[in-house]
Parts: sequence; C-alpha cells; structure tokens
Amino acid sequence: MKATAIMVMTGIALVACAGAALAHHSFAAQYDATKHVELKGVVTKIEWTNPHARFYVDEKNDKGEVTAWNFEMASPNVLLRNGWKRTSLEIGEQVTVTGYLARTGPPAGPKMAIAESLTASDGRKMFASSATDLSPR
Amino acid sequence: MTSRAAAFALIAVLVAAAPLLHAQTRLGGNIRANPPSGPVPRLPDGKPDMTGVWLGGLPVGDISTALPKGETMPIRPEWKKKMDGFQANDDPQAHCLPLPPPRFTPYPWRIVVTPTHTFFLYEMYDYRQVFMDGRKHPTGDDLDPTWKGHSIGRWDGDTLVIDTVGYNDKTWFDNKGWPHSDKIHLIERYTRTDLGTMKVEMTIDDPVAYTRPFTVTGAARLMPNEELVEYICNENNQDAPYLQGAKP
Repeated sequence: MKATAIMVMTGIALVACAGAALAHHSFAAQYDATKHVELKGVVTKIEWTNPHARFYVDEKNDKGEVTAWNFEMASPNVLLRNGWKRTSLEIGEQVTVTGYLARTGPPAGPKMAIAESLTASDGRKMFASSATDLSPR
Repeated sequence: MTSRAAAFALIAVLVAAAPLLHAQTRLGGNIRANPPSGPVPRLPDGKPDMTGVWLGGLPVGDISTALPKGETMPIRPEWKKKMDGFQANDDPQAHCLPLPPPRFTPYPWRIVVTPTHTFFLYEMYDYRQVFMDGRKHPTGDDLDPTWKGHSIGRWDGDTLVIDTVGYNDKTWFDNKGWPHSDKIHLIERYTRTDLGTMKVEMTIDDPVAYTRPFTVTGAARLMPNEELVEYICNENNQDAPYLQGAKP
C-alpha cells in the first residue's frame, strides 16, 4: 500500500529545506528562497537517481497551456529512510507541489525547482527533500 | 590460512550474516531511535569490535565548531583569502568528487577492521583502505598525492589510530570549505566508548596552510540493523551548472 509508505510531515521538510544545507549542494547556491512556487499538475517522469531523485510535472493553466517542471528531491537513500518506495509516486498521478525556483533557469526544457512538499490527489503527504533528515529529531 | 585469507574469510562471514540477522528489519526502520547503550563489544583477542554502521563523526557544515571551546582555526591569511574566494561550484561534493576525512556527510558509513586492513565504506560515496600490517608510508617519489592519501593504522589501547599522508590539495574539510595543502598530515582516533557511541578525534597538521596543528572532536552513533544504500553520485547530477555565488 502506497499510503502506508509515506509518513513524514510536510512541515518537517519545509523547515529543514528552508534553512538548510542539502547533502550534495547548498540550498542557497542553487535555489532562491524568495521565489516560492505552488502548483498542481500531472507527474510525467520520475528519476530514482543520485545525487537527487527527481520528478517532472506538467502544469496546465486555464487556457490549456502546459508548463513543464523538474523538481529536485532528496536522494534515494534519504527517501527510503523516510518511508518512500521507488513506486510511491507514479507517472500520471495528479500532485500538488510546493517548492522554490532555481536561481538560474535552464536554457531549455522544464523549469527547475526544489520540492519542499508533495501531496498526492488522495491527500497522501510525501517527504520531499532536505538532507538533514538522518539526524535525530 | 594466511592472515590475508583469514581477513577475507572474516569479511565474507560478516557480509553473508548481515541480511540473515536483519531480514525482518525494514531499511531505516530505526534511524531516529536513540543509539543503544551497553558495554563495548569485544573480539576474541580483547580488542574493541568496531563493526557496525555509524552515523556522524565531525560536523558536516563547519569543523571549526568541533574545536575546543575558545579556539579558532589557525589558518594562514593567504589560505583564508583563498577560502573566501571559493564559490559554491568549487565544492568537490558538487561534482561528486571524493570527501575524505576530516570531511563527513549526513549519511552513514561502515567500518570493517581486519588483521591486515581497515576498510571504511561511506554511503556517500566511496571507500578507504587503511593498512594494518605494520608497513610505513611511502616516501619521496613513491608517495603520490591522491584524493584519499596513504593510510596506516594501529591500535593504541582501545583506540584505533589512523595516520594519513599523501593527500592532494583538492578536498575540503567540510561544506564551509576549510582548505588544506598537499602537505597535510592527518591523525584520526576512533574510540568505541560504549555499544552505541564512537568517539572521533582528528588532529590536522598542515604547516603550509595552518600555523599549528589543531584537533577537532566529535562522535558517531551506531545505527543498529542498518545497511548502506547505493549512492552513485554522478548518474544524474544536474545541479553543478546551477550553483552560483559564494559558499554559505
């Protein structure tokens, strides 16, 4: 059951993400804490990879125009230890994502951002990022 | 059986036994549990058994916070200037390059001590070998600068002491970017003070970049029933081109 796999509160990810050093690179060097994003869309691709897992979302506006997003998450080791399975998120799922935009956009392709919270259409809240996540809380 | 063959046999048994012992434990099921307490486990020869998966060691962000109270990093001015010029994109970590001690990561590591070698297996994302057979460091032209240096180990009572020279100058001490030269001499001291705690003490002597030797101290905690997870850093590293600005 996917629902049983995900249990970490969004708030923890939010606090950890905003302050924090990611394991692989610093948050501030890549993302802009003043550019918060929130959107709904459909998952188009999932990369269960290092140094970060990623999911890609197509966001459709009222006119039917599509914006593609590339969201960074923590690495698979951290996701696994926070309740994820590789199959916890599926292509085609409707999700609500919050996060922060990268300081520099890619020359082409999806907009890059880091996910701070990820909520599936059935309300499941999934741990998304931060790598201060192995420390005792 | 030679001592080397015995070492390999020991490793094989340890590796084979791990999944049998912990087959029912979900990965990471206990990562936030308090470390277990109890006496230091010992091997038949009386030495502390260091075996296990450990989390922590020294601060990931800034090792100067692990100096004795009141001390500051005795860095030479020209090296501080060099450090202040580092950009986020200069961090070896951003390019998936090695992170040898005194640098630690937020992820676990395993130590395996055998009669001939000690191995450190770091989840993020490398290994180290330490020669325990009494050999000396190579000297002169035989000592090539390398990312992880040349490490020899010995026991000092219950403390595992590792002496390393032969580093290149490309690695950092932490996320903050404290630098070093290729003349660094590192002495690591690992002491399992109880079942769940490993004291970590490192003395850094780099007369080129620092005015005197200094010692940083921390601790790691045992993660019982934990296994290392594969971390192939370079398989999808999209970040480096986006990293901007000075180090935090």
